[in-house]
Amino acid sequence: MNEIVLAVEGVHTFIGRHHILQGVSFEATADNVTVLIGRNGAGKSTALRSIIGLLPTSEGRILHRGREIHKKKPYQIAREGIGFVPEHMGIFSNLTVEENMRVAMLVEDAATAHRLERTLAMFGDLRKFWTAKAGNLSGGQKQMLAIARAIVNDTSLLLVDEPSKGLAPIIIESLIDAINQIKEHSVVVLVEQNFHLASSVGDQYYILDDGTVVQKGVMEGLAGNQELKSRYLGISKAENPFGNEQ
Amino acid sequence: MNNDKIAMALKPAGHWERHLPLAIGMGLFLLPLLGIPVKTYLTLTIAGLAMGMLLFLVASGVSIIFGLMDVINFAHGALFTWGAYVGFSIFRLLNKWVDAESVLQNVGAFTIAVVAAMVVVAFLGVVLERVIVRRVYGSHLFQILITFGSTIVLVELIRVLWGPNDEVMPVPLRFQGNWDVMDVIVLRYPIVCILMGLAVYALIQLVLKRTKLGTIVRAGVEDLDMVQAMGHNIFLLLTGVFAVGAALAALGGLAMAMFTLQVYPDMGSTYLLFAFIVVIIGGLGSVTGSLVGALIVGLAYNYVAYLIPWAAAGVNILIMIVILLIRPTGLFPVGK
Amino acid sequence: MTTPTPVQIFRSEERRERYITGSFFLKIGLLALFILVPFLFPSFKSVDLAMKVILFATLVASFDILLGYTGILSFGHGMFFGIGAYSVAFLMGKYGSPSYVNLLFGVLIAAVIASFIALFISFLSLRVKAIFFAMITLAIAELAIVLATKLTGLTGGEDGISISMPGVFSVSFTLGKFAGVEITGRTVTYYLILLSCSALFLTMLRFTHSPLGRVLQAIRDNEARAEALGYKTFIFQSIAITFGCVMAAITGGLYAMWVGYVNPESSLGVMTIMLDVLLMVIIGGMGTLYGGIIGAGFVKVTQTFLPDLQDLAMTLFPQAEFMHHIFERWLLLFGILFILVVIFFPKGVMGSIRDYMARRSR
Repeated sequence: MNEIVLAVEGVHTFIGRHHILQGVSFEATADNVTVLIGRNGAGKSTALRSIIGLLPTSEGRILHRGREIHKKKPYQIAREGIGFVPEHMGIFSNLTVEENMRVAMLVEDAATAHRLERTLAMFGDLRKFWTAKAGNLSGGQKQMLAIARAIVNDTSLLLVDEPSKGLAPIIIESLIDAINQIKEHSVVVLVEQNFHLASSVGDQYYILDDGTVVQKGVMEGLAGNQELKSRYLGISKAENPFGNEQ
Repeated sequence: MNNDKIAMALKPAGHWERHLPLAIGMGLFLLPLLGIPVKTYLTLTIAGLAMGMLLFLVASGVSIIFGLMDVINFAHGALFTWGAYVGFSIFRLLNKWVDAESVLQNVGAFTIAVVAAMVVVAFLGVVLERVIVRRVYGSHLFQILITFGSTIVLVELIRVLWGPNDEVMPVPLRFQGNWDVMDVIVLRYPIVCILMGLAVYALIQLVLKRTKLGTIVRAGVEDLDMVQAMGHNIFLLLTGVFAVGAALAALGGLAMAMFTLQVYPDMGSTYLLFAFIVVIIGGLGSVTGSLVGALIVGLAYNYVAYLIPWAAAGVNILIMIVILLIRPTGLFPVGK
Repeated sequence: MTTPTPVQIFRSEERRERYITGSFFLKIGLLALFILVPFLFPSFKSVDLAMKVILFATLVASFDILLGYTGILSFGHGMFFGIGAYSVAFLMGKYGSPSYVNLLFGVLIAAVIASFIALFISFLSLRVKAIFFAMITLAIAELAIVLATKLTGLTGGEDGISISMPGVFSVSFTLGKFAGVEITGRTVTYYLILLSCSALFLTMLRFTHSPLGRVLQAIRDNEARAEALGYKTFIFQSIAITFGCVMAAITGGLYAMWVGYVNPESSLGVMTIMLDVLLMVIIGGMGTLYGGIIGAGFVKVTQTFLPDLQDLAMTLFPQAEFMHHIFERWLLLFGILFILVVIFFPKGVMGSIRDYMARRSR
């Protein structure tokens, strides 16, 4: 059995008066990509933001490598080696690509330099536009930058929120490549609505609906399960706008 | 939001927008030449630039604090006043040095006063931020109310500690007087102010653009949550920025007191108003915007004070209104 | 007649209930108290205190329309109050003479001027963030004070303008004794102002309970959503601001009638009027018009009896010099009180009571 890197136990989160997460529990294990899928408003982004500490939890626990983190501040959680790529990418438009990366790098030592090299090798465009303002990058490049920032430190757990949003299919393919490379070093928890991306990189899945986990299992099992897909993901057999279902 | 719709409708296309600050600057600089004799014009310009620089000191703090922390700090004026009063006491204490002929002693007294003022007020700023402002993050309304209340408390404390009367501000001898340059009388102190302001501006830009800390601050102005999620302790950052903003206000207050030769408990409110006008004109979160805005306000005030005395107070409000109508985000908006 | 809609049924039930709940009797009782003050506490100080409470309660309620119901903080409210006061002063004193007609005109002109300025301000400032609106109103208010002080020829400068009331309201008028108390012009003025303020207050209540008022609350709670629902938020906000400012101006006119003297410091002053209003609205509770009564009562009573408090402190602690200094600077204490209330009781007295009642009924 693989080590449980992240354990979310019975977490409730409110946003204002709205009870978004109503008892969410899931686990992410080492050498695995865990995917959270579900419809809009199910609470997937809220789950990630609760893990990184940007939203306070009112009930339940979140453990990273057995240590409780749900009461910690976001910067403390990040320093434990948890990287976060938010839904809106969160890149600093007025700063250059280089400056974005500098803000990301918590220490500037040989190990970090090595990781930076590795990251730039993965995302060639970032090296090309190193001194350009991040706001001038294309959507796909911004997404790459957001991911690069999150993995340049010694990241053992990477949280990624809907990276495919608004991106062209060909960019999504390079995203899949990137994530497949990343999963060799880090545990990845991915929130995705794009089923093609989810099934291409995911190992296990959890389906979120109305603030709770309603289904879980191994990714291969989900691909063929049309009933689940149409019930919780809104994917009908006829729909096939991008990518291959089978 | 309605603002956006109206702003978009009035937005001019492309190019001439970028030249707007320059256009205003040139207009401001050259127009008065039409109505004012050259020598007076020079004196007024220097006075205007000096006043502008001092306003810049106060406004830059407000701009960054709002840009970074999304906190509106009405107490800035009170911090400004405290700076002036601390400097006042130091000068009183070191009156031998202040009245001496020696440049060294004068500069020494000035430096000590500046350091003391900045340290004391930075400390006040830290207390203010941690004890009071921190409780109202997220609500502009309560920030305004609570910093307004804090202003009252701080100003009343001044009255308790220093008395409620206006006092004459001592100024080191060497800072007073003037130079005679080609038949034009150039007052010394305004030049000092201008140089000081430029130095502070250069220092701030250096820190913001060349240091990691500055980069983090600039990133925070765009997305503070993200900066935190990337592992930086923003609480230290915010307190630090607040303290720096307070220290700048103190410097501005001290320098302004030396400029106007008086200290009085309410001096903060007038200049706070100016500071906000500067920030509106210049754009929130932009230090360059604060500089340009401040210079515009300083110059406008001085030119109009000469031409139409009673309109001086109102002209800057007029400029602010005009800017609000054609470019609500200010001359140098920091895109969020 | 068609069958009433659920909303109509709800509203008519609510209307009926309004007159039998306990709070209704409390309100009637309060009104009765104010009516009886000249007879129960006939001293000048007491009647003056009561009148100030009534006037400020109305002013604070008008401010609450902006702050509590529309969610807009304006530092210019004192200025509108001053406009009303000066308007009456001009027509009754400097540029006219005491007469009933001038009295009425003074108030009307105040209302008209106030509405123009309010509309101008709302057009200008609703385009910017809330904090800038606050600053702008502060700037304009300060400008008004400077103008009032500097343009001595026009406004009487720092010395201000004194007025006397006409006929029935004048100081020399007397109706003889009633229930052991002399009915003077002052007493008549008291009742006039009480009546007017009650009318203003009721108007404001009707405004907030009207469909217009409800839309305002929707806008306050979630502007984007209200817009999405199709309401031109800008228009509603402008109407609310104008309404509140006009109410403030009329109240200012009434104030001038009572005090008989206007000058920049006492009628327009930010540190004097505006601060008081802010303190009262915070203590009383935002978004509850009645909070104004509580806030005004508390602040005015405290201010009136503060000198006595100071004497008390002096006798209890004769050695503490520093303490004397602190007490002398009562503004300092007010400032501290203000901060404490904002931190610990942001909802004010009324707000906390309403929360408590809501929790109890659940």
